[in-house]
Amino acid sequence: MITRLLTFSLLLLSLLPLTQTEAATCSCAGAPLLSSIDSSSTEPGDFFFNYTTEYHEMSDLVEGTKDIRDESGRERSSISQIVSGTYGLADRWSVSGLLSYIEHSRSVGTSFLGEQNTSGLSDAVVLLRYTPSYITPFSRHEVSLGVGVRLPVGKDDAGGLIVQSEDMQPSVGAQGEILWSSYSYAFNQASTLQLNLSANYTFNNEENERNYSFSDEFNFAVGISQSIGTRFGYSAGLRYRTTDADERNGFEIPNSGGEWLDFVPAIQYGVTDDLTLSLSGRVPIARDLEGALQFTTSYSYAFSMTYAL
Amino acid sequence: MHFKFIRFSVLIFCLPSFVIAQELAQEFSAPLITGNEQVRLSDYRGKLVFLDFWASWCPPCLVSLPAYDKMYRELDSEDFEIIAINVDEDIMDGIAFLEDHPVSYPVLADPDGEVGIPYGVRSLPVSYLIDKEGRIVQRYRSYKSGDEILLKQLVEELLDR
Repeated sequence: MITRLLTFSLLLLSLLPLTQTEAATCSCAGAPLLSSIDSSSTEPGDFFFNYTTEYHEMSDLVEGTKDIRDESGRERSSISQIVSGTYGLADRWSVSGLLSYIEHSRSVGTSFLGEQNTSGLSDAVVLLRYTPSYITPFSRHEVSLGVGVRLPVGKDDAGGLIVQSEDMQPSVGAQGEILWSSYSYAFNQASTLQLNLSANYTFNNEENERNYSFSDEFNFAVGISQSIGTRFGYSAGLRYRTTDADERNGFEIPNSGGEWLDFVPAIQYGVTDDLTLSLSGRVPIARDLEGALQFTTSYSYAFSMTYAL
Repeated sequence: MHFKFIRFSVLIFCLPSFVIAQELAQEFSAPLITGNEQVRLSDYRGKLVFLDFWASWCPPCLVSLPAYDKMYRELDSEDFEIIAINVDEDIMDGIAFLEDHPVSYPVLADPDGEVGIPYGVRSLPVSYLIDKEGRIVQRYRSYKSGDEILLKQLVEELLDR
């Protein structure tokens, strides 16, 4: 607990200057899954284990592109714990698996009566990747394509007798299919400076048990990463995300869906050749949301460690 | 839904069977970094060969190269050879490093990957131990201090057979 508190305090301090700016993102159920899957290439027999903990604050009130001052004192946040593994199956083929646990919290006003908490196992993702082209000392380009599935292995009936709203559920409660791709370009032979692009699309065409279906989601990210010496690295990028309105019984849910543009900085430190620590954040730059009013992401930050077995 | 998941899992766990294969080292010919003389792997048939890919911009390589040279001189065996392959795009960078840290075995230039690509070099350093029959006995990725001691033990073991 103390370690977690220290970690979060350090994260918060390191990102404080960034969180002064206006924020953006959605308050959907489940953990930030695909962003936790590393896009780096894997050789046959390699196994990478990753643990990520992410804090996500979603207390901004937005009407279209305009920020609205929220007088209700409403606060909404989530903390996700994500474990993932990537295994090199064969030359050019790898598979990633991911499991997450999430705690949602929502409060209105200052009374403890207005506070609601849910927690539980969230969704799992399995992603099979094919990498026809790698960055090597002889090639500057890397292309990777993937297909996957999001499995609703978690809890989607949190709240007991009065089931909580969909955005407070740990799991989406329905299967989704994923198309994933990434491209990297190395500016030098040592590939210490890289341009990284990635895109993914999640098809959410199934309803959960309450006949609710989250809309399809598209993410696109572009960024630069640089390693400094043998241990340090940093990256900075932009992430664009768009969703349509969610539906219940085939009818669109008002105040859901929109477009988000975030700034995503990160720093990495290689403790040893096998262990890498990373600190990343997400700061909204712009957003254009559907409906009259939507609560959306203020900021998020994450700490992760990756171990190569 | 569960049936779909099981099918997916079976597919994933069957794929590793493609990975394991007994490999023969690819024949190659490349020039010495300091001249035009061509060196072929087949020139060393009947010897144990350690093939070491490196570049001047690869920090671990700059430690491994002198370490392997020390090991090579200590072994001092007619049946064991090291061939280093420099993959710097500009071979002058490799030559400059060798001027400061000369090695006692041949260093070849492979700026375009004519040797490295068939050997599947994706990151550096990477090395291959090739037995007297030309089969790859061991592949080494990266380098940690002391790796050369383990390599020396394996080489001695193979030479004693």
